[in-house]
Amino acid sequence: MSDVDDTTAGSADTAIAVLEYLARALVADPDGVRVEADDSNGLTLNVYVSDGDMGRVIGKRGRVANAIRTVGRAAAAKDGETGVSIEFVD
Amino acid sequence: MEWVEMSARTVKEATDLALDRLGVDEEDAELQVLEEPQPGLFGRTRGKARVRARVSPRPQPQKQERRERRRGGGRSRRGGSAGAARSGAVDAAPAAGEDDDGDGTIDSPSNDDTSSESGASPRPRRRRRGSRSGASQEAAPAAAEGDNVESKTFTLDEHVACVEGFVRGLVDAFGAEATIRIDEVDEDTREIKIEGDDLGLLIGPRGLTLQAIHEVARTVVYRAAPDGQDGRVRIDIGGYRERRRHALEQFAAKIAGEVADSGRARTLEPMSPPDRKVVHDTINGIEGVRTTSEGEEPRRRVVVLPAD
Repeated sequence: MSDVDDTTAGSADTAIAVLEYLARALVADPDGVRVEADDSNGLTLNVYVSDGDMGRVIGKRGRVANAIRTVGRAAAAKDGETGVSIEFVD
Repeated sequence: MEWVEMSARTVKEATDLALDRLGVDEEDAELQVLEEPQPGLFGRTRGKARVRARVSPRPQPQKQERRERRRGGGRSRRGGSAGAARSGAVDAAPAAGEDDDGDGTIDSPSNDDTSSESGASPRPRRRRRGSRSGASQEAAPAAAEGDNVESKTFTLDEHVACVEGFVRGLVDAFGAEATIRIDEVDEDTREIKIEGDDLGLLIGPRGLTLQAIHEVARTVVYRAAPDGQDGRVRIDIGGYRERRRHALEQFAAKIAGEVADSGRARTLEPMSPPDRKVVHDTINGIEGVRTTSEGEEPRRRVVVLPAD
């Protein structure tokens, strides 16, 4: 994994793996989890979850979502990506 | 767990002070309002609020309720309802059920991990600590019964296994090499220690990433065992916690010395509840100084004052 070090979008492999892992650990429907990179306006990682699972990744007042973002950004830093935004989409 | 008792101008302030003293978040504490300030003329209040709190021996189900109440309860007490709720056991909230409208799952873990290191928070279950349920808790379990039909609790071993599994998977996803071992801190507390090179990113600036990992871990545990978990499971990465505690103690002692010498109060930077606890504990063991706290989470700060 550490061989990923170029800085283009799509190289955020660690971040994507980590976000998928975290989201799957939290939702009722792990198969509904998908993470996609969107580089159209700075790097954004979109975390897709099943309809019913949105609340589970957001948490009360967004606390879980923020925790996921924090860990996801740390992973993105490993990929050489900073200033990544992480969005949750259903 | 021991009770602490704090007085302040408002119930909220007293509550915050008590929570600070305990080093936990509101969700992890059992609170009792012993005394409320009396409303006086022109919206002023007379007397002090007194609040008693301890770390919840068991998860509390009615966080939502309590939270709402507290939120509304800062200075503008809404007459009757607030008063009624205050009759002693803040915990015995009648509306407990509303916390868990099916997605109760997301609630509790949001208990900011920060504090009591994970584990011991969310639900009430007297399975193990029945003897502790004081009056204030009696109402809780009944209320919680409704939402989680099949009650699922973790023993300490299951609790540890759940967090450990989660952490291992995370380290893998991160592509890090690490060894993981489990330390028995005390009878009820285990610490999952992750050691290895290049773990700095997992700790993050001021341990924020570690804190976030903790938060997610708690949520995962809670989802797996919504009815409660025995014990506490902390996570440490690269010895961060230990170093942090040590550094904080030294820092706190230094500040205490300065305040004692100068007689001038010092406000520290915002800290998480467990960090504040370290500071409070350290400074309160030193002559000539005392501590209080101010501000709202997550920017709550310890203030060091000369003892008067």
